[in-house]
Amino acid sequence: MSRRTIQIEMNRVEGDLDFQLEMEDNIVVDARCIGTLYRGFEQIMLGRKPTDALVITPRICGICGTAQLNAAVLALEHAGRIAVPPNAVRIRNLCLMAETVQSDLRQSFLFFTADFCHPKYLSRPFYDKALAAFQPFKGSVHRGALENSRHIVEIVALFGGQWPHSSYMLPGGVTTPANSRHIIDSLSILNKLTRWFEQTVIGTDLDVWLDLQSAEQFFAWLTEKPAHDESATGLLTQISREIGLQYLGFGTPHMLSYGAYDDPRYAGTFTQHKQRLFKAGFLNGETGIVEAFDQAKITEHVRYAWFQPYPGGLHPFQGQTVPDYQPHSDRYTWCKAPRYQDKVVQTGPLADALIDGEPLIRSLYQAEGGNAWLRQFARLRRTAKLLRTMRDTLHELSADLDEPHMLPPATKDIPDGEGFGLVTAARGGLGHWLQIADGAISRYQVVTPTAWNASPKDSAGRHGHWESSLIGMRVDDPDDPVEIGHIIRSHDPCLVCTVHILDSGKRLTLWP
Amino acid sequence: MTTLLWLQTGSCGGDTMSILCADSPSVEELVDQYGIEFLWQPSLSAEPKKHLDTVLDAILEDRLALDILCVEGSIMTGPNGSGMYDPYRGRSKMSLIRQLAEKAGYLVAMGTCAAYGGVHAAPPNPTDCLGLQFDKQAPGGLLPVDWRSRRGLPVVNISGCPAHPNAMTKTLAMLAAGLPLELDHLNRPKAFFNTMVHQGCTRTEYHEYDVEDELFGGKGCMFFNLGCKGPVTMAICNSELWNGRGSKTRAGVPCFGCTSPDFPSDHDLFRTEKIGPIPVNLPLGVERANYMAYKSLAHEAAPERVLNKTMDP
Repeated sequence: MSRRTIQIEMNRVEGDLDFQLEMEDNIVVDARCIGTLYRGFEQIMLGRKPTDALVITPRICGICGTAQLNAAVLALEHAGRIAVPPNAVRIRNLCLMAETVQSDLRQSFLFFTADFCHPKYLSRPFYDKALAAFQPFKGSVHRGALENSRHIVEIVALFGGQWPHSSYMLPGGVTTPANSRHIIDSLSILNKLTRWFEQTVIGTDLDVWLDLQSAEQFFAWLTEKPAHDESATGLLTQISREIGLQYLGFGTPHMLSYGAYDDPRYAGTFTQHKQRLFKAGFLNGETGIVEAFDQAKITEHVRYAWFQPYPGGLHPFQGQTVPDYQPHSDRYTWCKAPRYQDKVVQTGPLADALIDGEPLIRSLYQAEGGNAWLRQFARLRRTAKLLRTMRDTLHELSADLDEPHMLPPATKDIPDGEGFGLVTAARGGLGHWLQIADGAISRYQVVTPTAWNASPKDSAGRHGHWESSLIGMRVDDPDDPVEIGHIIRSHDPCLVCTVHILDSGKRLTLWP
Repeated sequence: MTTLLWLQTGSCGGDTMSILCADSPSVEELVDQYGIEFLWQPSLSAEPKKHLDTVLDAILEDRLALDILCVEGSIMTGPNGSGMYDPYRGRSKMSLIRQLAEKAGYLVAMGTCAAYGGVHAAPPNPTDCLGLQFDKQAPGGLLPVDWRSRRGLPVVNISGCPAHPNAMTKTLAMLAAGLPLELDHLNRPKAFFNTMVHQGCTRTEYHEYDVEDELFGGKGCMFFNLGCKGPVTMAICNSELWNGRGSKTRAGVPCFGCTSPDFPSDHDLFRTEKIGPIPVNLPLGVERANYMAYKSLAHEAAPERVLNKTMDP
């Protein structure tokens, strides 16, 4: 039996991501998820005006700045108990959905499917098809995704001025109303994208696609017409299943969703836990039951992170982020380990769909479990749902054009106190917790989706979700482990959001 | 054929996301029409990361010509000058960029972080970061003031947070096509930094007649009270629209001056600093006494439609 440590650096993720894997023969026996960048956002926030969070925190992440902005404004509104008008909720939802569609298309067809063009698959029957569709700059789907992901964020530019990085959601609403020009422009953008999605990504009408309710129906649909199995989704499904991604990458069985998109009908009053269009919850992987979600049950551990140690876990309102760089210890990361009810959880489109009760994803999950293919498939399934929800949102807006888009808060400044904002970003649950003292930010804690998924071990030594999804895997070529790429990219890593990890340059081995 | 290597340092990936949104020219056009070959781009390269090592070795050993090096992100020099807050394969990216810079025909800073330090350099600058050839406004960053690339230019700063999509692709197209690139005093290409954000803002009439908004969500000018830096910021946001559709100021969001070396300001970002009723920072080049006189005259001359804010921006 040979034991070795391999180090894998990954691209086509947002940010820098490394893994150290302990291999016995060709089986992964231990894994350490290592991002490699420290930026210090929590420190930069301290002492600033609370509303500065609306400018600074979107810069945490280039691909999900709208979600960061939304979380920040909800946290400020929570702290000030500030209500917003229904149209502001609709415009915020519309922009967040546009960003999510952009992210899902780019993740699927720029980041994930490029792996199918790996030389390892040269002799496979699907290889020529994979190149024709997914090869960067040459494949038809790759080029289509570049083009169309570019267009969808034009909707954000109409309402927010630009994408990425604008600050158009402010306490009390949004900065610009939905006028009829914006509505018609947005519908044109949406229709154009929907046509491409129908022709290229699913090979059928959106309605037909959304009507598929069960695993049987889906697999029957796949083989029903050439247009279906030759669509980008069909191809992604066939290739994934041919290389066995339906058997890999399960990770933790526990799932968390904050729910997505505030329901505008409840916008008139401030509520702490929002009514949402897609439900929040915690899927207990041991019982299979979806429990009510409560943010008070979130804690973060630092046992394996380079922060000043504290025992067990702390809720973000008590969160401590004091750097304590110890490269030559058993600590290996700047990333804290978030836990819910003290359990290791995963978050993202698969968790969102299961907790919301999406029938097709639930049926596939019951058939095969939460594997890497299903995680990726759930993301594309979501795109279809969002295209439909965006259209509905635009119609709601056009029925109510004269309604206000901003209810200026009673006081100019956000009062001292605390608040949190929870949203569903493209990669899963994103939370901001802030405290304000003497008119300035005294604590700001951000827990990103990737923090949940990429978390290191916690105080009890339990591996994070990605780490556990790799342990036990067989790797054909440890020098070029493309399998790891599939699994990890199926989670759509966004390391710029999360990671406070340093690579010591030394390979740590955790056993003698 | 023009070879291009794109590295991310202390970044959020926003400039990559921004350039993917460029449409005139698009990234695909740079490849198809301008002969740019992406040796490496973190979000676009299909090859495994090992390929980057191969490329880096070939460049550093002079086996591969590097025409354009693009850097996205602040240069982290901490902790304690080691640069290890942002490592690559056990060494600092800071030292890697320094080596690669010597090989590059042109070195382009994509975004305010790479140009001047950007948001990560805001107090207390926890990572001790700076820009490639500037440290905020101070000349000299990772590279000294008199540094020049192989083709004789200082670091070309396409600042912005993120940089404007088409400012990035047009600059790359100009370099690939051998067109001259004139730079301003902050080493930004004049083609994109000789225009105020104020020029082309759809709220300028409110500004002209001194009709001020005091709350967000309105139609008026945000310069006087709401922190807008449009009249003091150089950028093409209102002459070449973002995503082909808009700009911050058109959407009622103040310009935060994100192309400037001192972005983000320490002061409340949604309030204008004032002395009495007059902003501390007047429109570029305007004398305070003249401005006071002009302001009261302008307000007197304002037509009803502007005074009553009936005009849509």
